[in-house]
Order: sequence, then structure tokens, then C-alpha cells
Amino acid sequence: MSDIIISLDKVKKVYFLDTVEVDALKDISLDINAGDFVSIAGPSGSGKTTILNLIGCVDKPTSGAVIVHGKRTSDLNDDSLTELRHRSIGFIFQTFNLIPVLNIRENVELPLLLDSQTGNEHKADRKEWVDYLIESVGLKERMLHKPAELSGGQRQRVAIARALVMKPAIVLADEPTANLDSATGESILRLMRHMNETFGTTFIFSTHDPDIVEEADHIIRLRDGRIVEDRRIHGETSVGFAVGATGTEGGQL
Amino acid sequence: MIAARLAWGNLGLHRRKSLLIGMIMGMGILILFLGNSLIETALSGLQRMFVQGYTGDLMVTGPTEFSTTVLGETAGSEEVLPHIAQIKKYEDFLASRGDVASTLPLLSGQVSFGIGETELGFGYCFGVNVDDYRNFFPDNVTLVNGEWPAESNGPWVLLSEPTLALLNKSASSPVQPGTKIIMTALANSAGTVIREVTVKGVIKFNQSNQQLAGITLVDADTMRDLLGFASLRDGAPVLSGQEAAFVTGFDPDSLFNDLFAGSGGATGAAVSGAAAPEQSASTQTSVVAEVVPAWQFLLVRVKSGANSSRLLSDLSAFSEQIGDGDRVQDWIAGAGKVARTAVTIRLAFDLLVAVVAVVVVMIMMNVLIISVNERLYEIGTLRAIGAKRRVVRNMILYETTFLALIAGAAGLLAGLVLLLILGKIGIRAPNLFFEALFGGQVLKPTVSGGAAIRAFLWILAMGLGASWYPTIVALRIEPVVAMRGD
Repeated sequence: MSDIIISLDKVKKVYFLDTVEVDALKDISLDINAGDFVSIAGPSGSGKTTILNLIGCVDKPTSGAVIVHGKRTSDLNDDSLTELRHRSIGFIFQTFNLIPVLNIRENVELPLLLDSQTGNEHKADRKEWVDYLIESVGLKERMLHKPAELSGGQRQRVAIARALVMKPAIVLADEPTANLDSATGESILRLMRHMNETFGTTFIFSTHDPDIVEEADHIIRLRDGRIVEDRRIHGETSVGFAVGATGTEGGQL
Repeated sequence: MIAARLAWGNLGLHRRKSLLIGMIMGMGILILFLGNSLIETALSGLQRMFVQGYTGDLMVTGPTEFSTTVLGETAGSEEVLPHIAQIKKYEDFLASRGDVASTLPLLSGQVSFGIGETELGFGYCFGVNVDDYRNFFPDNVTLVNGEWPAESNGPWVLLSEPTLALLNKSASSPVQPGTKIIMTALANSAGTVIREVTVKGVIKFNQSNQQLAGITLVDADTMRDLLGFASLRDGAPVLSGQEAAFVTGFDPDSLFNDLFAGSGGATGAAVSGAAAPEQSASTQTSVVAEVVPAWQFLLVRVKSGANSSRLLSDLSAFSEQIGDGDRVQDWIAGAGKVARTAVTIRLAFDLLVAVVAVVVVMIMMNVLIISVNERLYEIGTLRAIGAKRRVVRNMILYETTFLALIAGAAGLLAGLVLLLILGKIGIRAPNLFFEALFGGQVLKPTVSGGAAIRAFLWILAMGLGASWYPTIVALRIEPVVAMRGD
């Protein structure tokens, strides 16, 4: 067993394109356990990104319940959703989405700097933790460079470090390898798996690459807004550092 | 502080837009700073010149509907300005206040000068007690030739240098101290009045413009004669009992009952009550009337640091109580067209600035909106990874504030350099109008701290105003935008 960290119950999401209703998700129900390495697979338009948006609390369902880390997202206001994203969810974007004006170190540290509860007393611990993450993703030598000076793969490594810096319970990755060549994509996937195993962080990534899908231990396949497969391969996964903890002590890779 | 860090970085990343907005702000500050400093220099110079040399801070004038300059120019009327009937009450009221430094009664009008039958020219004249005048304006008059008159000297005149030069142009022999000249004025109430006066000296006004430099000082009694007011040169008039009764118990309606029997009486002399009875040729009892000397103006200087606006208000209220219709006005009204023009120019400049500000704000707003739209994914990402709306709002506000600070510093520095250069070389007045406005032939602008602060606050307000709508646009960006890709 593992604790269920994400639960979708009869979730429906309808978009309106002008006057046309588009059913992006149709009565989706699923559970994701803490520490899972989950892939959401399916062709374009199948609803992968919509599910990630709902789990990531950047969107709300038209009907049904999305429960993340014990909280029903439709009951939360904007500030509470922001707080939930900040503390419990890390994001890895297909296009990396690093802040161009900040260097690598600052980009990784950014979520910590947005935390008004992080005082100066933890500054030394914070620095150590950020340095550790950057070293873990192999970018120690480039930590003072700007994102524009890095390759795609390096940028995605920075994004992974940034996603983990708050020690979130969940990391969402929307097609993290789509903009990378296959070798770099594989190395990114290995890094994500490594982080998943090291910290016990729940990783949920979307992809339409069949090889990458099979790397996950929980595979969810979508088609036309419906789940066509929900399969666990490796059984339960272990949990590393405290789920949702925001302390500054890092685990070991 | 992360909002400030992001804002600073964004300014560098979007250099062209930052430069464009910065240049608009910098130019705005430069124009505001320069313009306000020039106007303030001219206005403060004008104020100093008039207050310390001609008008005082405030003045009471005889009853009139219109503002009247100290030169006796009454807007909309050709009448001689009437005297202040109860000037003593004003003097007592002002003497009782702690914020009044001194007062000066004054007469003013335009006269012609001549020698014998020959008319030599026209000029403005102040009728004054010379000692009081010199005490009231201690630094503005210098005796160039001759001597200061004593009150016992009889009719005297102190000609200004330009007036002397004007008279000497046409005079057959040089006009100089000791020369007797003829002064003529058209007093409405008494027809044409001619007086012979002795030139006691030649004076120079230390702060003046072309018009003011030509003012002539004449003894108050001669000026009263010229303006048609009662003169006290020969002492108070002796009135017969019938005359005294007429003056003290004057009923205008009686004029119509006995149209040709009335007596004109002295215009402008305030007669109050009857004094000791005297014998006269007639069998009736005569009286010496208590006559208050006629003055058209009572100039007031306030003490240093005192609030002249408050005194203006209190004095106006007091004048209302007296109820004679006297006018209380500030130095600007007393200075007339020149000062009003300067004030109008400042108002016009402020209006122009306000109009330009609206246009500039619109331009800046557009540039900022474009900038926000170019950063949709960046702002969406910030929101997705946990930035609350206030972080986004602060980021935009910091960007505007940084720009205002940098552009403001550059604009102020450029303005400072220009003002220092202009202060050294001066701006030469191109014509008489500007000469009057500048208070001289050359305006040497001074650096005004107030103008600098006002310019900066204007720009900051414009910057913040311009960022208002872009901030709203930025705050509407939802975190889901980050998921859509760059």
C-alpha cells in the first residue's frame, strides 16, 4: 500500500471554444499513490495536459472532485491554491519555463525566495540545499550562467532542481522530454527516476513516447478524454523525505 | 525582495522598451524641472522686486470693484481710485497684529511734467511721506543726486533717473536739483490741476523694470492736489457752522430739494465731528473740521515667516466689517499685468504638463502592456510555482519605480547642469514683455529644490499611473498559461 496522494473522482472538464463545447475529460476517476512514478500517455488532444493542470491546481474541474494532498481543489480560493502549489507541487514544463533574467542558481532558489515564511535564519541551510540540488543535476560549474547559455537538456535539469527545491510531495512534468533529443530525454528521465527513488517524491509525467511510458511503474493511458488503461507495474513505491515537507534538510542521492 | 530582483532583471532584458520609457520619463523630468525652475526664478524675482520695492505683501485700496495696481491702473475704469475713508481703523487693526512688520500709506497717479508752458513728458508718481517711504522700502531707493527732502521743504519732487533723462531731452536748460518744474494731472473731481514743485533730488530704484524705474516720488499734499483730494498743507479747513452742519449731517436727498444751494466740499477728505468752535466773520459759530489725510493705498509688509494668506483673509474680513467697499489684495494684483502674466504662464505650463502627462501615460501604458504580454509564460510560471498575485504586482511596480528613479536621476542631473550653465550665462529678454517678466534684461535661473521634487513626484505618479492597467493585465494571467508552452 501506499497512501493515496492524488484522487480524481468522476472528473469532467469542458472547454468552450467560442460557442463549441469541447469535452476534454469525461468522468475520469483515478488514484495515485505517494511515491509513484506515473506516466500519463495518449495522443495529442487525449487530455494529458488537462489532467496535469487539474492535479497541479492551475485549473479546476467542471464537475467531479480533484483531491490533492488531502485537499479538494474546488473548495480552495486563489491564495490557498497558490499555497498548495507552492508547498506541495513542483512543476517541470515542456518548454522548461526558466526565468530568463535569473541565473541558474537563482532559478533553482526561486520557489524558496517566494516563500515569505523562509527567514534569514535558514539562509545557510537553504544555500547548502540549493547547491546540493544543482550539483545533483550536474550543473555545479554553470550555476552562475543564465538559462539562455544552456542547452535544452541542461535547462530541463535546472527545471528538475527547481521543482524539487521546496521538497514537494508531487512533481508534475508535462512532456518533459518532448523538446529534447532522445539521448538527452533518456538522461532526464533517469534523473527524474533517481529523484523519485531518492526522495520518494511522486512524479507524474505526460508523454506520447511509448518507450518513455514504459519506464513508469504506474501507467495511465488516455484517449478522447477517457482512461483506457490504468496499470501498476512495480507495485508499491517507497516514500523518502516527508511528503509535503518544506524544511531545508536535503536527502542524499 | 525577489520582486525587485525580477523587476531589475526585466529592465535589463527588455532594454529597448526600458530605454524608450526611461527616455520619456527623463525628458519629462528635464522639461518639468527646467520649466518650473525658470518660472519660479522669474516669479520669485518678480515677487521680491514688487514686495520689497513697490507693493508690499498686501495692500488695502480705496473702494473699487476692480483690482488696482500700485501705479493706480484700475482694470475697467478710468476713474481716479478713491481714498480709503477709514484708514486709521486699518492702521489700528494692523498695528494690533503680531504678523505685520510695517504699513505705508501711499497715493499714486499719472502726471505730466513741464517747465513754464512747455510740457516735457509723462510719468507715474507716488505721493508719500518720504521718511515713511524709505523706512518701508529701505533697500530699493538710492539718492543719486541732490538731497532727501524734509517735510518742511514745501512741495518737492524726487525724479527718477529715466524721468530726468526724459525731461532733459526736451528741456531748454538741464533739469537738476533746485529746478522748479510744473506737474499737471487730470483729476476727475477737480478738473485739471497744476502745481509747481522743486526738484530736491534724483533717485534710482535698485530693483525695477522699465516701467517702475521711471516712478517719481512727490510729497503727499501735492499728490492730493493733483488727484483732486483735499490737501492739508494749510491745516485743517475752518468750516462755518452751516458748512459743518452740512458736512456732518449731509443728506443726499437734500440736494434735490435745493439744487443750487449746496456746497461741493472737499473730495476725499473724511470729516468726522466738529472740533473747538471759533469766531468767524459771520454771526454763526465756526468749527475746525477733523480731517483725516486722504490716502488711496495702505501697503502692508508681513513679518518674515508669517502667513500672508491668512493676513489677507483676516484683513478682507475686517474690510467687510468696515463696509466702505475698500479692496484688500495681494502683491500680484498690486503688481498688475506683469505678475498676473507670470502666474498665468505658470498655470498654462501646469496645464500643458497635465495634457502632455496624459499622452505620455498612454504611451507608457501601451509599452508596458506589450511588455507584460511578452512575458505571459514567465508570469504564468511564477504563479504556477507559488508566486502570489502581490509578487507579480510588486514586480511591475518595482519596474516602474526603478525606471522613474534612474530616468529621474538622469533628467534631474541634465536639468541641473543646464540650469547651472543658464545661471552663469543668463537668458537675455528678447523684448520688453520678457524684460518685465524676467524682472530685468537677463534672467539667471536658479536651481529650485522644490521644482526638482515636484518634477520627480510628477514622473513617479505618471509612472505608477501608467503601470496601473498593465498591472491589472498581469494579475489576470493565470498559472495555467505556463503549461501552454513558450
